[in-house]
Amino acid sequence: MSVTLASDVGGTFTDVVLTDAGGRIHVVKTLTTPDDPTVGLLRGISQVLELAGVSPGSVQRFVHATTLATNVILERRGVTVAFVTTQGFRSMLALGRQARVEEERFDLAFSPSEPPVPLTHTFQVPERLSASGEVLVPLDEDAAAEIADRIAALDVASVAISLLHSYANPAHEQRLASIIAARLPEDVPVVVSSDVWPELGEYERSTTTLMSAYVGPVMASYLHRLGAKLTALGITAPVHVMESAGGVLPAALAASRAVYTIESGPAAGVIAAAAHGVARGFADLISFDMGGTTAKAGLVREGRPGITHEFQVGGKGSFGGRRAGTGIPIKVPAIDLAEVGSGGGSIAWVDAGTLRVGPLSAAADPGPACYGRGGVRPTVTDANLVLGYLDPGGFAEFGLSADAARAAISEYVAQPLGVSVVEAAAAIHDIANAQMSAAIHVVTVRRGIDPRGFTLVALGGAAPTHVARLAERFGIGRVLMPPYCGVGSAAGLLHADLAIERARTFLAPAATITSASSSPGPAALSEICADLETSARTDLSVDSWRVPHQEGSQVRETPRVNVVRSIGIRYIGQAHAFTVELGSGPVTRETVTLAVEEFYKRYRESYGIDLRDPVELTTVRVRVTIPAGNPADLDASNVSTPLDRSPASRSVWLDGEFVEVPVVAREECAAGTELAGPYIITEPSCSLLVPAGWRATVDARGGVLLEAS
Amino acid sequence: MSDDLTAEILRNALCVAAEEASIVVVRSAYSTFIVEGADAAAAILDVRGRLVAHSLSTAIIQCASLRSALPYVLRQFPPETMSPGEVFLLNDVYQGGIHANDLLIFRPVFVDGEPAYFTGTLIHVADLSGISAGGMASDATDVFLEGVQLPPVRIATAAGLVDDLARLLAANSRTPDRLLGDIRALIAGANVAAKRLEEIAGQYTPEGLARGIDDYLEHTESRMRSELAALPDGVYQGEYRLDDDVHGEHVIRVTVTLASGEVTVDFDGTDPQVALPINSGFSQTHGGVMYALRCYVDPSLPLNEGCFAPIDLRLPEGSLVNCTPPFPGGGRWATVAAAEEAIFAALAFPGKGVAASGILQGFSISGAERPWLHMSFDLGGLGAGAQRDGPDATGALFGGGRNIIPQVEPIEARLPVRIEEVSLIPDSGGAGRHRGGLATRTVIRLLEDARADTRGDRLTYPPPGASGGSPGRAGGYYRELADGTREPLHAKGTRQPLRRGEALVLETSGGGGYGPPGERDPEAVAKDLAEGKVTE
Repeated sequence: MSVTLASDVGGTFTDVVLTDAGGRIHVVKTLTTPDDPTVGLLRGISQVLELAGVSPGSVQRFVHATTLATNVILERRGVTVAFVTTQGFRSMLALGRQARVEEERFDLAFSPSEPPVPLTHTFQVPERLSASGEVLVPLDEDAAAEIADRIAALDVASVAISLLHSYANPAHEQRLASIIAARLPEDVPVVVSSDVWPELGEYERSTTTLMSAYVGPVMASYLHRLGAKLTALGITAPVHVMESAGGVLPAALAASRAVYTIESGPAAGVIAAAAHGVARGFADLISFDMGGTTAKAGLVREGRPGITHEFQVGGKGSFGGRRAGTGIPIKVPAIDLAEVGSGGGSIAWVDAGTLRVGPLSAAADPGPACYGRGGVRPTVTDANLVLGYLDPGGFAEFGLSADAARAAISEYVAQPLGVSVVEAAAAIHDIANAQMSAAIHVVTVRRGIDPRGFTLVALGGAAPTHVARLAERFGIGRVLMPPYCGVGSAAGLLHADLAIERARTFLAPAATITSASSSPGPAALSEICADLETSARTDLSVDSWRVPHQEGSQVRETPRVNVVRSIGIRYIGQAHAFTVELGSGPVTRETVTLAVEEFYKRYRESYGIDLRDPVELTTVRVRVTIPAGNPADLDASNVSTPLDRSPASRSVWLDGEFVEVPVVAREECAAGTELAGPYIITEPSCSLLVPAGWRATVDARGGVLLEAS
Repeated sequence: MSDDLTAEILRNALCVAAEEASIVVVRSAYSTFIVEGADAAAAILDVRGRLVAHSLSTAIIQCASLRSALPYVLRQFPPETMSPGEVFLLNDVYQGGIHANDLLIFRPVFVDGEPAYFTGTLIHVADLSGISAGGMASDATDVFLEGVQLPPVRIATAAGLVDDLARLLAANSRTPDRLLGDIRALIAGANVAAKRLEEIAGQYTPEGLARGIDDYLEHTESRMRSELAALPDGVYQGEYRLDDDVHGEHVIRVTVTLASGEVTVDFDGTDPQVALPINSGFSQTHGGVMYALRCYVDPSLPLNEGCFAPIDLRLPEGSLVNCTPPFPGGGRWATVAAAEEAIFAALAFPGKGVAASGILQGFSISGAERPWLHMSFDLGGLGAGAQRDGPDATGALFGGGRNIIPQVEPIEARLPVRIEEVSLIPDSGGAGRHRGGLATRTVIRLLEDARADTRGDRLTYPPPGASGGSPGRAGGYYRELADGTREPLHAKGTRQPLRRGEALVLETSGGGGYGPPGERDPEAVAKDLAEGKVTE
C-alpha cells in the first residue's frame, strides 16, 4: 500500500493524515500559522512522519486542501489585475449581469458593489472574431503594444484577457497575450479566457478568467514556497491540490487555474462524509463540517454530493451567498454547499446589551482564551470547556485552561449581562448552534427538503460537541461521527481522484454529425474530444507519470485512466442543454445518435414534454480521472484493549444543570459497544456529546452512530 | 422538530414548488425573451384567489397579473365544473392580463376531489399576431393591433392540448411551432408545481396544508400592517410626466393616505387613457403600487396575499392606469414606472428622497426577408439619492437587474447581427451632490435587412434631478447608416426599416442627480474623471 500524506489547512488548525505502507492511519492536528501557512503545515508533516516512523523519501503522494483561494477572494486580498477585452466592451465587467434580489429590490438607497476590476484598469483592443471564429477585424498589434505599455505603467501583478468569441478561435488572445507579456516583468502572468474556460458567454468566461488571474499569483507563490520546503524536508512526491468538484489537481495546474480550487477545503469534507456514509449504507447525508473559523453544510443524495456550475463568489441573497446573478460567477464545477462564519474560535461579545457570537474569530492567533496563547476574548471553545463538553487535557499540542476560559467569559459576557459565567457559557453555546443550523437550513429547509430522513455526519474538531444538538433542532434522528472525525476533511482527501475537466463550446445541429450525407460528420466532434482529452492528459502529466516503485527507485508507468466524454444537447431555439455522456470508443454517427436519444428521454422525464424536434450540440466536456488507486479506507484499526475499567467521568452542563457524565475514548470501545446518553465519547482532538435521549453504537469501522431513542 | 420549523419547511416547500415550475418553463420554452435570460413567472394561489407563493424570479407585476386574472378564470369556469387535467389560458388586459404576448396559464390542483389551489405560469411568448413580430406593438391604436385577444379559455384537458384552439392559435402566429412550444412549456411548469402541491397536501394532510397557508398569509398581513402603521400618518401627493411624441404630455397623479396602518392609494386626477399602448391594465398598476409601497416596509416580507390585503387601491376607469376596451396596454411599463415615481415623490420622507431613474428601454429586431427575432431591453441609470450616487444602468423600479440583458456571444451565434458596442455613456448621469447613474449605448449592426420596433420613455423628458440636482442625459433610438451618420428613430414605433450594413443604436437615459452639483465631493469628481464616467 502506498504511503500517502493528506493535509487540510483551515483558519485555526492544520490537519495532517498519513497512511503508511501497512494501511495504518496516523493523524496530527497543529495550529495554523496564518502569516505563512507552510510553517504550520511543515510542522504537522514532520510530526506525523515521526509518529508513523516513516521517512520523508518514502512518501509517494501528497494531497492538499487549502482555503487560500476562497479567503483571498472573500477578503479581497488578490493581486492587482488589468483586464483587456474587445473594442466596444470596456464596460463589460462594470456593467456586469447582476440581479437585484430579495431585499435589495426594495432598497431605495441600493448601491451595487464595486466592479471586480476598476474601469481604470480595463482596456479594449481593436480586433473582432465572428461566432464561428473567423477574423472580421485583425488584431491591431500597435494598439496592443500601446495597451501593454499602459498596463506596465499600472504596476499590476497579473493580466486577464477575454476577447469575444475566443472559445471558437484562441489566436487573437494568444497573440495579444504574447505582446503584453513581452512588455511586462516575467513574473506577471497573463491569463487568457480560451485557456481557462473556452465556453460561449463572454461575461462568465471573463469573470472566471479574471478570478483566475486575481488568485493565481497568490496560489503560485504559496505552492512554490510549499514545494521548496517539502523538498528541503526530503519529500519528493508529487503535490496534488483538491479542486472544488471533489477531484485533485497537480500543484502546477492549481496555480495556473486557481479558480478550480476555490472550494478546495469544504469539498474535501463533503467527499469524506459521502465516503463514510456510503460505506455504512446511508445514502442521504448532510455533512456538517465545523472547524475553528467556519461551519459548512453539504447535501449528499443517493451517495453523491451535488455539483453546481452556478457558483458565485461574494454573492448575496439567502442561499448562503450563492444566489445566481448576485455575485461574481465562476463557471467551473463546484460541490454545492453552504457556509457560515461560525466556528469554535468565534468570539462572543455584548452589543448594546445583546449577546452576539462572531463573525470575528480568534482563529489560531491568538486563539481562544483557554489555549493560553495570548487570547483574552471568550470564544465558543471557551464556553464548551466551561460547560464540561471538552476535555481539559486538551488537543493539538497543548492543554486547555478552564480558568482562563471562565475569566474571559466573566469579563466580556457574564458581567456586562449580569448573569453567571455558566449561564453565559450556555448562551454562547446555544447561539453558536443557532448560527450553524443556518448552514444546514440553507441546504435543506430552504430548498423545501425535509432533513429528517437524512443522516448528519460530523466532521472537524468542533463538530462532535454540537452535532447532536443540531440534529435535535431539525428532528434528525441519526448522527454519524466517523473515525478521525477531528481531521475529517484531510482524511477525505485520501479518497479524492486526480481529475481534470476540459470543455469547449461546439455549436452544431446534431444532424450535421448524425446524418450520413452532411458535413462535418462525426470527425469534427471526434477531433475536439481528442484535443480535450490530450489537454487533460497533459494537465495531469499522465504520460510522464512516475510511480515510485520502492524506496530509492522510480519507474515510468502509465497509470490507469478513466475518460468520460459528454456533450450538451438542446432543442434548436432553446437555451438550456442537458449534458449527456457519449459512449466510450470512437465517436461515430451511432454514438451521437444514442446520445440524442438519451436527451429525448431525459427531456421527457424532466419536463413531461414528449418532443422529437431537431436538436443541437453545445459544449463538449472531457473529464480525465486517475483513480486514487487503493485508498486506505478510513476504518480505524481494531480495538486492541477493550475497556476493562469503569469509565472516567466529568461534570457536564446538560439541560440546565451540571451532571456527572461518563467519558470514554472511542479507541477503547469494541465494535458493537452501545452507550446510552448522557455520555461523552472522545476521539483524538474532539469530544462527542451524547445527550440524554440518544443511544451511541460503535461500529466495526470505528465510527460512532447516534440514534435518537 | 418544533412547530415553527415544520411551518417554515412548508412555506419553503411551497416556494420551491413555484421555483420548480419556473425552472421547467425556462428550460423548455422557445421565446426569445426566455432563451436570452429573462425568467419565467410562476405562482401558487388558492381557490379563493389568494396569492400564496411565487418563484424568486417572478416580478411583482407578474405576480399581480396572475393574482388579478384568476378570479376571471373562475368566473368563466366555476371550480365545481373543473376536471382534473384541465388547464386554462388567458391574456386579456381587461381581465387581469398584461398584453397579447404575455400568456397566463392556470391549472387547478384537486384536493379531496375539489379544486383547492391553482398553479399559474406566465411568459412572454414568441409571437401571437398583431402589427409587431414578437409583440412590441408600440404604435397600436387599439388592443386588436397588439395581437390575438384571449379571454379565459380551456387550452388543455387530461387528454392533452385542446386541438381546435391550438390550431387556431398556431394559425395566428408568425412562429407557430415556437408558440405551441411555449404553451407546452407553460403547461409543463404548471403541472410540475401542481404535482408538488399534491405531494405536500399528502404529506401535511389537506387540513394541515390549508392551516399552514392561512397562518402564513395572516402572519404576513399582520407584519405588513404593523410596518405600514410605523409610517407617519398624512395625506401625500405626487405626480410624474410621461413622454408622448404624438399626443403631447400625460401626467400620472397619486394621493397616498396613511392613517394608522390603513393605506389608500388613489390615482384620481390622472390623465385619461390614449389610443396608444402607454396605458396600463389594472393588474400592472397594482403591481407597481405594491412595488413602491414595499420600498417603505421590511424588505424581507414575503410577497403574498398578506401584502396586498391592507392596501385600498383606487384606479379611475378609463385613465392611463386602468385602461378599458379597446384601449391598448402593452407599453404599460412607462406608466407603471411613472406611478412608482409619483409614489416616491409623494413619500419623500427625510432621507428617503431619490431623483428619477432611466427605465427599461425595449426593442425588437425582426428579419425582413426571413423570420428571425431579437427582442431585448437595456436599462437606464438610477436616480441619485440623499446618501449615494445612482447605480449605473441597473434594474430600476420593478426591473430585476442586468441579468435580463443577453450576452453578445449567444446572440451572434444565433442571429444575423453583430453587436459592436455595449458601453456606459460618459457624462450621462445627472449632476448633483450625488451623481445620477450612467446610461448605456448599444450598437447592433444588421447583416440582413430587418425592421425595428422600439418602446422607450423618459427620452423627451429625461429623468429629473431632486433637491437641486440636474436631470440625466436623455437617451434615444437611432439608425446609424453605413457612413456613420445617425438618424433618430421613433421612441415608440414599429417596423422601422434597417438595411443590411446599417445599425440600430439604442441609448438609455441617465439617472437624475441629487442635491446641488457644486456640493459634490472633489474626491468623487476625481474618481469619476479617472474612470471616464465624466469627461470634465
